[in-house]
Amino acid sequence: MRMISRKNTDRLIAWLSLAITIIAIIPLLWIIGCVFANGASAINLEFLTDTPAPYGESGGGVANAILGTLVINTMASLFGIPIGVLTGMYLSEYASSGKFSSVIRASVESFSGVPSIIFGIFAFTLIVTTVQHYTALAASFALGLMMVPIVAKATEESMRVVSDDMREAAIALGIPKWARTVKIVLGVARGGVITGSLLAFARISGETAPLLFTSLFSFYWPTGIDQPMATLQVLIYNFALSGYPDRVLQAWGASLLLVILVVAINVVVKFATRPKYKEGV
Amino acid sequence: MTNDSVKLDILKLDAWFGDKQALKGISLRIKPKTVTAVIGPSGCGKSTFIRCINRMHELTPGNKVAGTILLDGADIYNDMDSMDVRRKVGMVFQKPNPFPNMSIADNVVAGLKLIDAADKKELEEMAKENLKAVGLWKEVENDLKKSGASLSGGQQQRLCIARALAMRPEIILMDEPTSALDPASTAKIEELVKALKTETTVIIITHNVQQAARISDMTAFFYLGELIEYDETRSIFESPKSPLTERYITGRFG
Ligand SMILES: Nc1ncnc2c1ncn2[C@@H]1O[C@H](COP(=O)(O)OP(=O)(O)OP(=O)(O)O)[C@@H](O)[C@H]1O
Ligand SMILES: [Mg+2]
Repeated sequence: MRMISRKNTDRLIAWLSLAITIIAIIPLLWIIGCVFANGASAINLEFLTDTPAPYGESGGGVANAILGTLVINTMASLFGIPIGVLTGMYLSEYASSGKFSSVIRASVESFSGVPSIIFGIFAFTLIVTTVQHYTALAASFALGLMMVPIVAKATEESMRVVSDDMREAAIALGIPKWARTVKIVLGVARGGVITGSLLAFARISGETAPLLFTSLFSFYWPTGIDQPMATLQVLIYNFALSGYPDRVLQAWGASLLLVILVVAINVVVKFATRPKYKEGV
Repeated sequence: MTNDSVKLDILKLDAWFGDKQALKGISLRIKPKTVTAVIGPSGCGKSTFIRCINRMHELTPGNKVAGTILLDGADIYNDMDSMDVRRKVGMVFQKPNPFPNMSIADNVVAGLKLIDAADKKELEEMAKENLKAVGLWKEVENDLKKSGASLSGGQQQRLCIARALAMRPEIILMDEPTSALDPASTAKIEELVKALKTETTVIIITHNVQQAARISDMTAFFYLGELIEYDETRSIFESPKSPLTERYITGRFG
């Protein structure tokens, strides 16, 4: 009797959790479906290669915004990833359990909870008001800062789980600490670091608020990294609220591009983290 | 004290883990180009002993070492930098630990590459030479670019020996190097250890007294942190002086 009722309970719980999972992913699929349904018809060659058409005219594209998002994200990564990796490396391999390191650890922790608009205001105050014009550099600075805690945490965690056997093997060879840390421990942990960096990249690809304060927008091809620059995010924001049906459609198309970018990164992450060998970690 | 027939001179060595004393007044001399087996029941201090010889015991905060260890007459704790000691005294661990992020060839020369930054051709030569020395060359010559972790356990352990040998150590310490391996791999490593002494001096911990009898010239028997008996392997096994040694090698405890 008890066996049967326990089996039934097991089954009930399994079905219940499946049902709840399905309910939970419905909105997600709905959003993606909606973006595809509305955005797919916007995408054509002109959309992908041209700059926006003047108000009231149809046609034009979002190519300058695609380029802008990639440029700003890349510059943010060049700045945010190295700092994140160094911070994570410090926390995993050098920080003791003392006061100083717990302060750093707590800052990294709370850093990741700061709303993105704060990073925007910070970059605005620090850079935009100083140079007196909107600039893509300020956007990359804000987004790069947002990447730091994500990359730092991923680095710290993946270095921490590297077995001490690796550190001991390196010590026994007489390899100095910096080389052990960078070439052995970080090397063994590189999968986690790459994953964390890609996820940070995906994360900032969706940020809009910091860009409104920094790179703002432009209808033209970028003229320099110290100038205002179009991005897909701000383009969506502007066009969706513009009231022109053509532009609203293009906003959907731009949304679809962003969704594809983020999904593509997640697929790459899945591939990158698939272990090739049973590693001794 | 310097003497050509003494490679390692250990005098009144004590070691602690915090307050717990793990080695008590160990004194012994090791001749060059010999294999010394360290035997004794679990927890008697064998690992602690060899980890004092490459200065790895001191790495854990709270651990202490006292006494003297002379390597070719030089005091490894006072006259030498710990990194230099570890270059001259290689170590092979119980669990094979190749670097999984490096290829087989890079594993062999990991130490050389990360310390001296030698040129590429030279490193390739060194990799080949040391893989040959451990009898692994034929098995891996077409897979040199594969990860070190892609090999079998026995092959990984020989790779780790090659990695230690590549540093041209004066002494190689081995902490139960075959205890995680199958009999065939164990036999290969035993042959290798016997061959190694033409070039270097080996100190090997083993839980298998037959293994000690097969491969070593000298045997040290430890018990509760003390060195009970140290003699030629043949004497230890044929006519042990201490009843404790006799009971241990005949398998009556441990
Ligand atoms: N990290 C540690 N902290 C405290 N005591 C330790 C530590 N490591 C080992 N010891 C103690 O030191 C003594 C010697 O340990 P050691 O590892 O050298 O023994 P061993 O002879 O190598 O044993 P085994 O054959 O099991 O490997 C043991 O009594 C052990 O309990
Ligand atoms: Mg041990």
